Amino acid sequence: MSKLVTSGLTKAFSGLVAVNNVSFAMEEGEILGIIGPNGAGKTTFIHLVSGILMPTSGTVAFKGKDITYAPAHMRSRMGIARTYQLIHPLENLKVIENVMVGAVFSKDKSLREARRTAEEICAELELDRLERDTTQLSIFEIKKMEIARALANEPEVLFLDEVMAGLNSDETKGMIATVQRIATERKLAVGVVEHVMGVIRELTQRVIVLEAGELIAEGPYETVSKNPRVIEAYLGGAA
Amino acid sequence: MKLKTSYLSAAVIAAVVIAFPAFLGAYPLNVARSVMTYMALAISWDMLLRSGQISFGIAGLFGLGSYASAIAVMRGGMDPFLSILFAAAFAGVMAFALGFAILRLRAMYFSITTLALMEIFRIVMHNLHDFSGGPEGIVLSAPIFGGNSTALYWLCLAGLFITIGVSWYFEKSKMHLALTAIRNDETSARSNGVDIFRYLLVAFVITSIIQGMMGAIQIQSYGFTTPETAFDANFTLLPLAMALLGGIHSTIGPMAGAVLLGVASEWLKLKIPYGHLMVYGIIIILVILFMPQGLVGLARRMLRGSDKSGRKAGASHE
Repeated sequence: MSKLVTSGLTKAFSGLVAVNNVSFAMEEGEILGIIGPNGAGKTTFIHLVSGILMPTSGTVAFKGKDITYAPAHMRSRMGIARTYQLIHPLENLKVIENVMVGAVFSKDKSLREARRTAEEICAELELDRLERDTTQLSIFEIKKMEIARALANEPEVLFLDEVMAGLNSDETKGMIATVQRIATERKLAVGVVEHVMGVIRELTQRVIVLEAGELIAEGPYETVSKNPRVIEAYLGGAA
Repeated sequence: MKLKTSYLSAAVIAAVVIAFPAFLGAYPLNVARSVMTYMALAISWDMLLRSGQISFGIAGLFGLGSYASAIAVMRGGMDPFLSILFAAAFAGVMAFALGFAILRLRAMYFSITTLALMEIFRIVMHNLHDFSGGPEGIVLSAPIFGGNSTALYWLCLAGLFITIGVSWYFEKSKMHLALTAIRNDETSARSNGVDIFRYLLVAFVITSIIQGMMGAIQIQSYGFTTPETAFDANFTLLPLAMALLGGIHSTIGPMAGAVLLGVASEWLKLKIPYGHLMVYGIIIILVILFMPQGLVGLARRMLRGSDKSGRKAGASHE
């Protein structure tokens, strides 16, 4: 059974249809790329699936259960975690406490258990000096902290919204390896939004392409990148 | 080691404070009660503030507690001590019901609504002549414990200790992570399993119980009240000024602010009657402009600065 299925998912902001009739499925252990030009509705799509926004129509199902209108905190408790395109550190909490939040509230762990979980995850992601304030972190470290926090929710489905953006090439390489490792080890279904096609090619087994809110292509990156509609979406209409 | 020292010093201070009636007369004990009442209110205000919600309704719940307790004794023949617990519970139930409506609001919309609620409570008590005594207020047959100043002091101190205990629990438990996460970034909190409404409701109900309890202790200690005393805007403004001066988002900050401003206000009241209100206003403005972390924040920065040649202190400025 698919982990996550959407069917006819649509979100309209008054006149503008940001996500239009998108149906897709995500399987255990796969890394799925979500690509499309700016404003295609990729982030809105993740907002709908993670419960930050409620859809205008259509359904979302997680492991066969309808969660279309479940609030965001319930979805993170069920097993859907995510990071944000714009960083969202909790600046009055230390690094370790930031990561603990996921374990404490999604998995009902005691502070002591949550601390141990958070330390393990941070060690895995090579994030150290955990008693620091988040203001002392580099962008690379903040992104790692936010992945660690998402992982502390012990998700089955994880969305990473442009985690590579702003990283240099070495950091990007490290991040690709990290994402691959956590997906395999934890049997996660990972949805990755990226603009760098090299990253998508290396990381994903399958991609979906959104344009103006619609799903216009789906398949392995090599196939999709040769699809005329996709090329047109990225390069602009010839006519 | 360091933790043990702080526990030890807290225990010593508590013991000294409990023993105050042994070497203080009635007037200083009276001043101490006033300071302790404001301190409890300042701490309770700060506890909700840790979630980012700024309440201007302290006086409303304080007055509600006063009236609930007084009416329970006068009309229901309830034992005065029991009426304090009743008033605390009553404030909690009211907060629970109101919370469903007002905790969906944020920032100044929440603040303005709590301010309006406070006025509504006052006007209702002012106009319910037959039930609440109207503008003349309520006079009880006698203050609790026969007005014994030592007993009244300990009663107020007990209320304060409960408040400090709960606030300390807020700082050391999951509540700390939940409220700070909500304050910093609600989206992030939601995506990490925090049921925002539930935690706001818990914080609002608990802080309202404290405010109602302190109101009940106040009326039972004085034996009378009027709408204008019970819902006095001072019970909102002074705790707010104390917490800001001492340092918000902590237990120790509002405590420090309450001691300083509480003692200063007693002195100011004698020197410039009514003018003391202006002084509070000026203090609030100066603190917000020049010392947003309050005295405790200032002390922490200075300690850190002398500790580690300013590297950490420098970073915390960013």
